[in-house]
Amino acid sequence: MRFTTSIALALALATSAPLAIAAEGHGHAHHGSSPIGQPGTAAEATRTVEVTLYDMYYEPESIAVKSGETVRFVIKNSGELLHEFNIGTAAMHEKHQAQMQLMMDHGMLTPTGVNHEMAHMDHSAMPGMEGLAHQDPNSVLVEPGATVELAWTFPGDAQLEFACNMPGHYGAGMVGEITLD
Amino acid sequence: MLMSCIKKAVPLLAGLWSLGALAGTYNLVIGEQPLEIDGQAKTAMTINGGIPGPTLRFKEGEDVTINVTNNLDVDSSIHWHGLLLPYTQDGVPGISYPGIRPGETFTYRFPIVQAGTYWYHSHSGFQEQEGVYGAIAIEPAKREPFRYDREYVVMLSDWSAETGEQIFSNLKGQSDYYNYSQQTLGGFLDDVKRNGFTATLRDRLDWGSMRMMPTDIADVSGYSFLVNGKSTDDNWTGLFEPGERVRLRFINGSAMTYFDVRIPGLKMTVVQADGNNVQPVSVDEFRIAVAETYDVIVQPKHERAFSVLAESVDRSGFARGTLAPRDGMKLALPDLRERPLLTMADMSMASMGGMDHGSMDHSAMGHASAQPQAMDHAAMGHAPAQPQAMDHAAMGHAPAQPQAMDHSAMGHAPAQPQAMDHSAMGHAPAQPQAMDHSTMAGMTETDADYASGSGLAPSAANGGKFLAYGDLKAMTPYADYRAPDREIELRLTGNMERYFWSINGTKFSDAEPIRLTYGERVRLRFVNDTMMMHPMHLHGMWQQLDKGNGRFNPLKHVVNVAPNTTLTVDVPVDALGEWAFHCHLMYHMASGMFRKVIVEPPATSAAQM
Repeated sequence: MRFTTSIALALALATSAPLAIAAEGHGHAHHGSSPIGQPGTAAEATRTVEVTLYDMYYEPESIAVKSGETVRFVIKNSGELLHEFNIGTAAMHEKHQAQMQLMMDHGMLTPTGVNHEMAHMDHSAMPGMEGLAHQDPNSVLVEPGATVELAWTFPGDAQLEFACNMPGHYGAGMVGEITLD
Repeated sequence: MLMSCIKKAVPLLAGLWSLGALAGTYNLVIGEQPLEIDGQAKTAMTINGGIPGPTLRFKEGEDVTINVTNNLDVDSSIHWHGLLLPYTQDGVPGISYPGIRPGETFTYRFPIVQAGTYWYHSHSGFQEQEGVYGAIAIEPAKREPFRYDREYVVMLSDWSAETGEQIFSNLKGQSDYYNYSQQTLGGFLDDVKRNGFTATLRDRLDWGSMRMMPTDIADVSGYSFLVNGKSTDDNWTGLFEPGERVRLRFINGSAMTYFDVRIPGLKMTVVQADGNNVQPVSVDEFRIAVAETYDVIVQPKHERAFSVLAESVDRSGFARGTLAPRDGMKLALPDLRERPLLTMADMSMASMGGMDHGSMDHSAMGHASAQPQAMDHAAMGHAPAQPQAMDHAAMGHAPAQPQAMDHSAMGHAPAQPQAMDHSAMGHAPAQPQAMDHSTMAGMTETDADYASGSGLAPSAANGGKFLAYGDLKAMTPYADYRAPDREIELRLTGNMERYFWSINGTKFSDAEPIRLTYGERVRLRFVNDTMMMHPMHLHGMWQQLDKGNGRFNPLKHVVNVAPNTTLTVDVPVDALGEWAFHCHLMYHMASGMFRKVIVEPPATSAAQM
């Protein structure tokens, strides 16, 4: 595994920055009752799945997991544009797309990266931006060239997709199915 | 010299291709046959017996051979619109080659070096209007960067029961022949009642001095609009299963008609423009200029029909198709939206002949008798409410300055001067900062593509997002993005009344070619001094549309230049030879809005060759 500064940066974003956003708005995905599963640790992971992000698709395009399994995802952005890897339901993604659009409109995100200065500001007080500062572990933003890790424990059953909710990307087909055994 | 270069390249390319052995032969036959559309019979020109001709499906890296047989009794040709190829294969009679004589077959041979949606059409006479066009879909060498389950070509076109010759001759004889919505004496009297006699008369006189009318949105009317050759009644249908992603390759193969395209109930994700991938953008509606292409992906999730509506910009009709889970489904057509009226904002000072632009030949434009002092800005009347707040220099030339103008009084709605407090006009400084443009109907980014207050600026039927040129960002940054080496200003000029369209006041037959040097990067600065939109098409090389997205500026083969606006594109000059460059409105091209572009080798390498 090759770790560079940009990777560390992306990791920092993934773990501490407010840009990992709750698609459901308030980070309830943490709790055990969440239908989409919960964050895991790399130590509990039974296996590693490498995912590469391109402009405008994932490889692989679908991922099969077992019920209750914790998977360590190693997510590399090989494109020129900023992308997201977000585990959720289609409805969650749709909600999240509106938030991502807002973040673009407010300059927190650009097509190619994160405006780190702005992204670390607390935007939650701004009208329409409530919830954008919430941290959520089911989503990572990966800047071009960066690699990020995410460990996730999958639930018993759910209709899950991994998706990029950068404006327009989902509609262009940057989404893949998660099949649960 | 050129040919020797090409020949040298052939063995190398042949060597590469022998690995994949990708080569295809295609046969197109141009002929005539009787056709009836919307109850009107006509002898149409067809390719392989149909309108449109067959969709040519190529693969990037393929070496194509295309035999085109001309079974008409006049010369014909096929031009591969948007394809990068040796200029001898470009298919423009008089520039690339002599054309194809009746009964003869011309064999085109060229490598496919790009992917995406393009089209082909005759470049002879008005044959494109008569039916000689078809789609090209090129599969990329690598995978498509998008996910979709099925795809359809959606070729839009305008169809007339008249021949192109008849239409052109009607326009030449009487330019407003097709303007069915002319302002009438009744309208004049209504305006007099509303605005007073003097203001109304002045307004009409101003329009008259431009040889234009506010209803001059399109030159030609009476068209039927087709989707893949089918009228709205015949209802072209693309099938889907709910939940599938469907890619639609929109091509505007019209002779003269711009369309506003929407699919009520579905968001469209625009993924490609003029064959080049763009960063996906989700829209409710987009405008497609003549000869442009846009690829969109939609995901209909419900088991019902969705109308694919392409409403002509002059609101004279729809091209309509349907996406449906099974054949035979259709929805009722919605009402046409109100026909837009040009405003004074669509009128450049140059087009009024009231200002001296050293570079323009006003006498050639029919404005020799223009009297600047006859222009009364207060009487500009309906539209710009606050003449004193207007930057006149900006009107003709600079990008619009919305903050200096009162949009509420401009734009689509008929202005109501009587509702304005004229007494205040002369005194109070404009207070742009107090205006909230965001709440105004139709105030969207698309306004940046039109003169401020233009009657042509579009807005989405559902109030949602309308695609703007600035939204088009290349998916992959352009490797050789840099400042241009030089700039060429091209004023789009014309005289509607005499039906004479030109560039820099000179029509094609009187003009010198534009000479470019291989390897340079040239900025073309279009200044539209007319009151019509012009889709400017350069053959053989890209126009990199500059809407401020830098290295993500998209590559296009056609750019729409709105009335009274300036648009810049950068051309990477990377194709030797002689190329056509013209307005893609068929009758504008025919009347002279056309140039030959000659790309020459740099002086040093020419000496070496």
